[in-house]
Amino acid sequence: MRVVIGEGSCGIAAGAGGVHAKLEELFAQSNPTDAELGITGCNGMCFLEPIVDVYDNKGELHRLVKVQEKDAQAIYDAVVANDLSLVDTLAITAEDEAFLNKQTRVALRDCGVIDPESIDDYLAHEGYAAITKILTTGMSQEDVIQQIDIAGLRGRGGAGFSTAFKWRAARDSKGDQKYLICNADEGDPGAFMDRAVIEGDPHSLIEGMLIGAYSIGASEGIVYVRAEYPLAIVRLTKAIEDATERGYLGNNICGSDFSFTLRIKAGAGAFVCGEETALIESLEGKRGMPRLKPPFPAQAGYWLKPSNINNVETYANVAWIINNGGEAFAAMGTKDSKGTKVFALSGKIARGGLVEVPMGTTLREVIYGIGGGIRDNKEFKAVQLGGPSGGCVPASKLDTVIDYNELAATGAIMGSGGMVVMDESTCMASMARFFLDFTAKESCGKCVHCRMGTKRMLEILDRIVAGEGQEGDVEKLEDLCYAIKDGALCGLGQTAPNPVLTTIRYFRDELEAHIAEHRCPAGECQALISYSINKDVCVGCTACARQCPVHAISGSPKQPHEIDQTICIKCGNCKTACRFGAVVVA
Amino acid sequence: MAITYTIDGVTVTAEPADTILTSATRAGVKIPTLCFDKRTAIYGACGVCLVEVEGVPKLLRACSAKPQEGYVVHTDTERVDRARRTALELLLSDHTGDCRGPCKLNCPAMTDCQKYVNEIREGKYKDAVSTIYEAFPFPASIGRVCPHPCEDACRRQMVEEPISIAFLKAFAADKVEADGDPYVVQCEPNTGKHVAIVGGGPAGLTAAYFLRRYGHAVTIYDKQPKMGGMLRYGIPEYRLPKAVLDREIAIIANAGVELVNDVQLGRDIDFEDLRKRHDAVLLALGAWKSYNMRVPGEDLEGVIGGIEFLEHLGHGERPTLGEKVAVCGGGNTAMDCCRTAVRLGAKEVYVVYRRTRAEMPASDVEIEEAIEEGVTFKFLTNPIEFYGKDGRLEGMKLQIMELGEPDASGRRRPVPVEGATENIAIDNVLMAIGQGANCEGVAEELLTQRGTIACDELTFRTSMDDVFAAGDVTNRGAGIAIQAIAEAQKAALCINNYLEGDEVRAKIPYFVKQEKTPEDFEDEPKQNREKMPGLTPEERRNNFEPIYFGFTEEQALREASRCLECGCHDYFDCRLIKFANAFDVDPERFAGFMHKREDVPVASEVIVHDPDKCVLCGLCYRMCDQVAGKTYLGLYNRGFSTVVNPMVPEEARTFCASCLKCVEACPTGAMKSVPAVERKTCIV
Repeated sequence: MRVVIGEGSCGIAAGAGGVHAKLEELFAQSNPTDAELGITGCNGMCFLEPIVDVYDNKGELHRLVKVQEKDAQAIYDAVVANDLSLVDTLAITAEDEAFLNKQTRVALRDCGVIDPESIDDYLAHEGYAAITKILTTGMSQEDVIQQIDIAGLRGRGGAGFSTAFKWRAARDSKGDQKYLICNADEGDPGAFMDRAVIEGDPHSLIEGMLIGAYSIGASEGIVYVRAEYPLAIVRLTKAIEDATERGYLGNNICGSDFSFTLRIKAGAGAFVCGEETALIESLEGKRGMPRLKPPFPAQAGYWLKPSNINNVETYANVAWIINNGGEAFAAMGTKDSKGTKVFALSGKIARGGLVEVPMGTTLREVIYGIGGGIRDNKEFKAVQLGGPSGGCVPASKLDTVIDYNELAATGAIMGSGGMVVMDESTCMASMARFFLDFTAKESCGKCVHCRMGTKRMLEILDRIVAGEGQEGDVEKLEDLCYAIKDGALCGLGQTAPNPVLTTIRYFRDELEAHIAEHRCPAGECQALISYSINKDVCVGCTACARQCPVHAISGSPKQPHEIDQTICIKCGNCKTACRFGAVVVA
Repeated sequence: MAITYTIDGVTVTAEPADTILTSATRAGVKIPTLCFDKRTAIYGACGVCLVEVEGVPKLLRACSAKPQEGYVVHTDTERVDRARRTALELLLSDHTGDCRGPCKLNCPAMTDCQKYVNEIREGKYKDAVSTIYEAFPFPASIGRVCPHPCEDACRRQMVEEPISIAFLKAFAADKVEADGDPYVVQCEPNTGKHVAIVGGGPAGLTAAYFLRRYGHAVTIYDKQPKMGGMLRYGIPEYRLPKAVLDREIAIIANAGVELVNDVQLGRDIDFEDLRKRHDAVLLALGAWKSYNMRVPGEDLEGVIGGIEFLEHLGHGERPTLGEKVAVCGGGNTAMDCCRTAVRLGAKEVYVVYRRTRAEMPASDVEIEEAIEEGVTFKFLTNPIEFYGKDGRLEGMKLQIMELGEPDASGRRRPVPVEGATENIAIDNVLMAIGQGANCEGVAEELLTQRGTIACDELTFRTSMDDVFAAGDVTNRGAGIAIQAIAEAQKAALCINNYLEGDEVRAKIPYFVKQEKTPEDFEDEPKQNREKMPGLTPEERRNNFEPIYFGFTEEQALREASRCLECGCHDYFDCRLIKFANAFDVDPERFAGFMHKREDVPVASEVIVHDPDKCVLCGLCYRMCDQVAGKTYLGLYNRGFSTVVNPMVPEEARTFCASCLKCVEACPTGAMKSVPAVERKTCIV
């Protein structure tokens, strides 16, 4: 039997480390059935972490979820007794299983399946088969790019540019030295698929990069990983060492003329360094600020040499395409958007985690079919796609299919796949303000439109959510949005207005209510709401009064309570504490 | 291989190394930029060089975009204009400073006070006079009589007292005259156009001066025997000696202005005829009629209009006054009247004013000097009746007043105290409560109900295309001389525009301004204002001798050295303000938080960086890195908080060799060096 603990960052954060230690201790004391203990990366079901996968002697998988340290003994006992029905209480429900079953996994094919720290495990799962095939069957650079072209693979980092086009441009660019760079600076709040790939299947990234490097003629590669991903760096470092040791990295790979070395550069945490030219500046040791394009990196990138940059998820698809053929990839998806896309589902969703679906799937299927709809049976309001560079899509557009163009038509973008779900209690003005606050802070400060424009927009949104909006503010925001889109230097600035523009497009009434009526329809903006207790409902349990940090609630036990508005700081603790729904927001 | 494309219809040839910016600039199509300089690598920060290319969905940065064969580029579309203007407005919404000093901005004629005060400080008196002549042609006269709004705005008063700007002006003009090197007007070649000006006062003469400079022929018609208007006939000799005025009028006459005196519109010359004989007419008739008090007894002998009284004096007459004289009014004309009455021998002189001293429009110094000369001020009194015997004035009845609620002007309104009156015995009343125009001979259709001439505030044009008006005669009413001069200066520009067939309107320029408080000057060493030497009250009260002697050169140099130099040192080279005006910016649209940061010493004593003027074009640190070969400067922080700073701690700042490349390339006044270096931009 094999006991595999999900140890991606999400699993570890949920307590997988403790479970692992406990199991290790138990098996170390006595392991009569010679059970193996192993780890794997995140399988995407973050809402069920920590997850322990037990493969019985028939190789059948028994998935145990929300495992706590205290459950270790029971799991141990079940394994030793060879009877997993003993831990049926921990077994995943059929409903939750649907989360995974409804997906189609390409980029995440081995995440949560293999041991990310074992190159042998990777090799056992068709690992390095693609690069071996290329190098030993004499596929030319063009042959490889041709497959990527047929596959219709587009950049998964945000802009969705044709990967084959970029590779050809870099290949055709003259230069004694070329570089292949991986953008693993995943900075969108709410997106974490790249981390999951590196932590869960680092060799798939290395193999994808090897194929890319071969195609453009690069001999040196760099993975730019944000320093906030320490586990990813550890696992990727080990993977690079192992791959080098096995001859998949280094000189004359697979006995061919092709040589490629790979190293890691840890980024310092600036969002703008996810922009490819700023990333290159940062790689060169400079302040992370975008360069003007043209010249594009394919002509003059790292150290002004021809360079190709793709993000992690893009590279993670490459080996699969070579192994299965471009047509197999292109068979999935829509006319313009082929293959699958990973989304990081978060927010007010019932089942949050990583979801990989074929292009062409509707947003409704992802959110309701896989994500299980809205938590606590609330109303769906909107979903933010593409993080701070994207936009919100309202309920009326839920049947939009996942496709670069279709999503762009809504005003949002595919982006890197962040999907933040909002319910009726989310204030859209406040949400737009949140994302703009992010971009304003993350603006590198180089170009005027972004540096000053986002600041001025933020000030306007600040006053709107504070109930001090002025007539004409929405129009002023629109003006600034279009000016910034037109004038900003890089993708960060050009897309920064998107969350605000879509909010204006779909939720203008809500903004206007803040301005004209000093009212927050979602009841979220502190300056515009007040909490009170419905005397007819209150049973005088005193729970609210005990939770109030400023002692604004008075009342005798078993008597209706009251909130002193002059003291109340509108923290909402009372509303959370009340089990009778007596606290009302107005 | 070279390619060709068009930009704004101009065909441009571009080499492979060219961008749209470099090739267009070479072809003479100007594209604004703040952050490009060919000595450094392309940067693309400012967004001011955006252009539109047909068929390209995005606007392109001209500094980096490579032109392609057949490109059709536009720099003048609404979209380009809006994008560039937005970039400038966003920059200006966090750009703190004073483009020009408060002195200049508060002068109706926008005289560059800071410039000439500093030219005086450097002993360049002729330059100082030339600077003043850029605004108007009466430095010696106005320097003596102007109530100097410039000094009211002077920030030196936050240290101790304002700079004595007006007297410095008179000093410079007197000095060049004494040195035998007076100003000579330089005129453009003759245009063949001829302008008639009716009225030879400060407005008429100023307009004549500017119109001559533009190259037009000018004739001034004036009803008085001599030119000068109110400067001659309204201001007594002791304040403005006629010889000083004569000298300055002579400079204008020498520029070729034809002066015709003793002709009155409607009597000696016909308005329509004047229009026929000239390409344009400027009406600068002034306001020569004292307002009546509208109280009983005004027709009594001994009740005289203040202006008429001064006019007689100006003609060299010495009107006879009784022993007791009351002057009604609180303005500078009232002061001229009461002090003249003292000089004519009146024993008791009263100024009757219905509010208090705080509300008096007359300058403080005039009030002070009147008191010194023995004038009695009766505040909060209002004449309600003049009485007398046999048609001859004997006294006046005064209503006692008190101050009530503020009126539209913000001053507290005087209201009668019921039943409280006072009678005083007097021989003469001089009415100086205001003055109106006398527009006899002017076409009826040009007049307002109040009998002034109606003209537009920005074009100075009347309802007739070729007829303009300026000064006290217009619908804006009578004011101080420098206001009339300021109007004439702008009217002359409008007339010139009209004669050249351009848009007539005078443009109001945009300036960056800031507010300062005394706390900002706490560290400034104190140095009081120079005292103007002059006659004592005893020496001056019985004659019309000039009361001031003028500054000595030592005094002038000391006084000029007090200037705080509020206006930006880089104004004339600043590209930001140049573009701001070219694009008609309105930075108020994006008003928000503005930084207030300390100046950063870059290289001690030599280079100082003002982050609040910085537009983050990056030229300073890029010049340092890419041209000077140092990496001494760099960017700190992110987003809105980004700032240029030395990259090394203060004790290590000897690293900087003060090559001044950073200062040289700065497009605004953010980088400042001592001594200053010439600013330079290299586009091609």
